[in-house]
Amino acid sequence: MLRIESLSVTLGAFSFRDVSLEVRENEYLVILGPSGAGKTVLLETIAGIHAPSSGRIFLRDREITSAEPRSRSFGMVYQDYALFPHRTVEENIAFGLRQRKVPPDEQRALVAEISALLEVGHLAERYPGSLSGGEQQRVALARALVLRPKVLLLDEPLSALDGPTRERMRTELVRVRRLTGTTVIQITHHLEDVFALADRVAIMHEGRIVQVGETGDVFLHPSDPFVAEFLGIGNIIRGRSSPAGRLARVETGGGPSFLAVSGVVGDVVATLHAEDVILSEAPFASSARNCLPGTVTEVVPCGSTVRVVLDAGFPLTALLTRESCRELDLGPGSRVYATFKASAVHVIPAAPRQDVAAGSAAGPEIG
Amino acid sequence: MRRLFLFITCLFALFIGAALLGLLAATPPAALVASLASPEIRFAVLLSLATSLVSTAICIALAVPIAYALDRYRFAGKRAATLVLTLPLALPPLVAGIALLLFFGTTPWGKALEQAGLAVVFTPLGIVVAEVFVNLPYLIRILRSAFSGVNPRFENVAKTLGCTDAGAFLQVTLPLARPALVAGGIITWSKAMGEFGAVLMLAGATPMRTETLPIALFLNISTGDLNLAVAAATILILISLATLCAVDLVDRGVNVF
Repeated sequence: MLRIESLSVTLGAFSFRDVSLEVRENEYLVILGPSGAGKTVLLETIAGIHAPSSGRIFLRDREITSAEPRSRSFGMVYQDYALFPHRTVEENIAFGLRQRKVPPDEQRALVAEISALLEVGHLAERYPGSLSGGEQQRVALARALVLRPKVLLLDEPLSALDGPTRERMRTELVRVRRLTGTTVIQITHHLEDVFALADRVAIMHEGRIVQVGETGDVFLHPSDPFVAEFLGIGNIIRGRSSPAGRLARVETGGGPSFLAVSGVVGDVVATLHAEDVILSEAPFASSARNCLPGTVTEVVPCGSTVRVVLDAGFPLTALLTRESCRELDLGPGSRVYATFKASAVHVIPAAPRQDVAAGSAAGPEIG
Repeated sequence: MRRLFLFITCLFALFIGAALLGLLAATPPAALVASLASPEIRFAVLLSLATSLVSTAICIALAVPIAYALDRYRFAGKRAATLVLTLPLALPPLVAGIALLLFFGTTPWGKALEQAGLAVVFTPLGIVVAEVFVNLPYLIRILRSAFSGVNPRFENVAKTLGCTDAGAFLQVTLPLARPALVAGGIITWSKAMGEFGAVLMLAGATPMRTETLPIALFLNISTGDLNLAVAAATILILISLATLCAVDLVDRGVNVF
């Protein structure tokens, strides 16, 4: 639907080179990369704010490389929301409709409709300065969505929010996207956003797209050392979560289950840093709620540490110092116990999967 | 320390107050009123008002695009342009005036302008030109700082919502810079009312022709007519007071000095 061919831009200190991307109709593409990777400039160039020094952009096979932003009908939501501070919430949302000379009656109806969808109707008369971060986010989304954009461009939409609000807003994005069916390109440096939202993910590093693909594929087969390192959480485990007392039990489909501190239920992705996993020869009593037996499949030295991959019913990675690894005398085939705290497991709701390869539905994805 | 600093503060405030009140008291009130009504002072007031309003309008018309360009655009020679455009800030008005006098009086383009009916030297038009030349850099600085305080993303979003470049500027950035524009306009006008050095050089000091209020003050004190000089000074003091109050009213964090 949107095709970007070898796009390059230099803008002061920010630049990206030779970026090619294809976004499909109704797809949610997340561009993931560390801060300063040129992600915002890329998004602004797609929106038409900056002229690329080379490369071309096509929208449904029509070239729009040099089209003005207003003729592209892309919606844009910035990390800082960029709500017009001198206009009320209602005026902000109606801004685009006014530019398009939509009759006032119709404007009111459309604003009311989108305000209801994003639950900002009660804020209509307020000014952006008096809104909370989450409210501003909703208004910024409403302002962009009221025009029914062909593509919605989201620049780190969740980064400026505090933890609980971010979780809520993430769920909100999923809901709004489902209701509006908009094609979305979002940039982020949060891995969680990828699992919760993305159909596909593009990894950006130093102004280049280093890998694009289905979310699961990219995590299973990082094509580039940077991707592997950037995604180097260690453990990303897909499963189903159900309440277990004050905690949540994550079942890994046929394999064992473990406990996590979370209120999320349903299809989830659990992340666990490799350094939070303790290995021992025998189970030991501790305050940690999870202790799983496993067999070492791989021992990979990296610098002063060693990455030990276990088969615990699913691949589980632990990060040990070289000394610990020597003392435990670990090698492929060693039987060990992996202990980790329920609070070390981060559970995020998984994006509704539409076209995932068969077989990975409930199984573990990566160690 | 506190007492010493407060003492210095109060002492100087008293000194300013005494000097200004002394000026007002230098002539009997009846004579002051008569002077204020004199044809010369009335002419000076009208000429000052007319030239200062015109020059302020020109300053705003020029400073808005220049300040915006200096803040938002990247272009070759931006540093040099910024330096040149703000140089008159540091220039004594007399020097600016003599530069203008030579430019309009001796160069071919100055003469061409004169032949086209735009005589600048020793004319009321010269007053406007001198005021614009001296005051424009101040307004550019005020507006540039105002524009740089407006998030450039506002315009980006406005453009994706359907605005042209100009539309985004007029509907978003300019309204947000309005306090600075109003305060800067008032300051510019007040400085134009009081401009002396550059006006003296370029427009001369011809009584009843290029006689603005400061020129009237200068001419009358030179000829020893204290009452008329004090009348002109009184009006200028009142204008300064009114300006301060007005700027204070519109000043919402706008840094005009």
